[in-house]
Amino acid sequence: MKRLLILMAVLTIVVAACSNGGDTDANAGQREDLPAMTADEFEAHLASIDRPAVVNVWASWCLPCRSEAPLLNEAFAEYGDQIEFIGVDVQDNQADAKEFLAEFGLDFDHFFDRNRQIPNRYGGIGTPITFFFGPNGELVNTHNGVVDERTLALNIDELLAGG
Amino acid sequence: MEFTLLWAALTAIASMWVGLRIWDDRLPDRPLDRLIGASVLGLFVGRIAAMLSQGINPLANPADIIIVRGGVAAPAATLAALAAIFWPERDNPSAVDALAPAAVLGLAGWHAGCLWRGACLGAASDLPWAWSGPTSEITRHPIEVYAAIALIAGAWLVSRLGWRPLLRTGTALGLASLVRLVTEPLRPTLSGGPIGWYAAGVVVGLFIAVLGPRLTRKPRTPVPT
Repeated sequence: MKRLLILMAVLTIVVAACSNGGDTDANAGQREDLPAMTADEFEAHLASIDRPAVVNVWASWCLPCRSEAPLLNEAFAEYGDQIEFIGVDVQDNQADAKEFLAEFGLDFDHFFDRNRQIPNRYGGIGTPITFFFGPNGELVNTHNGVVDERTLALNIDELLAGG
Repeated sequence: MEFTLLWAALTAIASMWVGLRIWDDRLPDRPLDRLIGASVLGLFVGRIAAMLSQGINPLANPADIIIVRGGVAAPAATLAALAAIFWPERDNPSAVDALAPAAVLGLAGWHAGCLWRGACLGAASDLPWAWSGPTSEITRHPIEVYAAIALIAGAWLVSRLGWRPLLRTGTALGLASLVRLVTEPLRPTLSGGPIGWYAAGVVVGLFIAVLGPRLTRKPRTPVPT
């Protein structure tokens, strides 16, 4: 077991040394502040969208949100023309939020919700949360916690099938 | 909700334990420890490989590594787990062969763990045994259950093979890869899944099974003159 732990530590250092670090401060500074939105405004916004929507609730301080961010980017690249992707940054500050977005290159729309009104409106628990909405804001499913590829792909398939 | 993966992992460990109780011939010391250790190392390496492929530096936030739900690269995980099994027994291939059926049964347990996770479903289907999710009316293939059943059959098949060096190990790798290769098209994915890697696993498994004795042949000792 001791050898295994040593091997894992060495591997971490080696692979990390081969990777690029997050170089995001410059990009973060150029980004505008995220628009603040209340739960009522968000509900009206969703109602005005005539296609399904995936709404991801995140925060820059949320470690699991970092794990799912690349997956959401991949889903947006694949399905962004058929499904609306929206991020809701909760209990955060603008500077950290912008740095997070720059680090992961999350290019879809994001809103700022300091008081967690939006996830509270739809009954999500904790952070992150991913809500799946049908056209015009009908809530279809809620996934509390980190979303994995299978769950995300399955729910997107459900949205596209109109289920 | 987040602990459902833990239940799936415990199901896999329980399956390996059952496998080691059923097929206990020629096992090395502490076989369950070896299988669990190899699985943990595989998850660790596979998670780091997935992070690197996503452009994330594992050292920037090392705690990210334990959030395996963010993605694990199956090929890297498999290679690491195999290396962890092989290395301590490199001079005794029959011990590796002895672990093979239980390892396949453990994989079956992992897939069956979808029942705890609520993550069994794949492509839409009208077949009589298709299920629907709690918030959907669309019935789907219980694809992870298919995989679990196929792997249970595979574990039994591997256990019936003889003790030619690495025959069981190669067959186990090939069968496990084949099950993933066949079931992958029915899984919901964003990127299509690592089909090429699973195909490579089948070929490499076949290669090991056929050429096992040559791969493990010890160098001839010089004849004293």
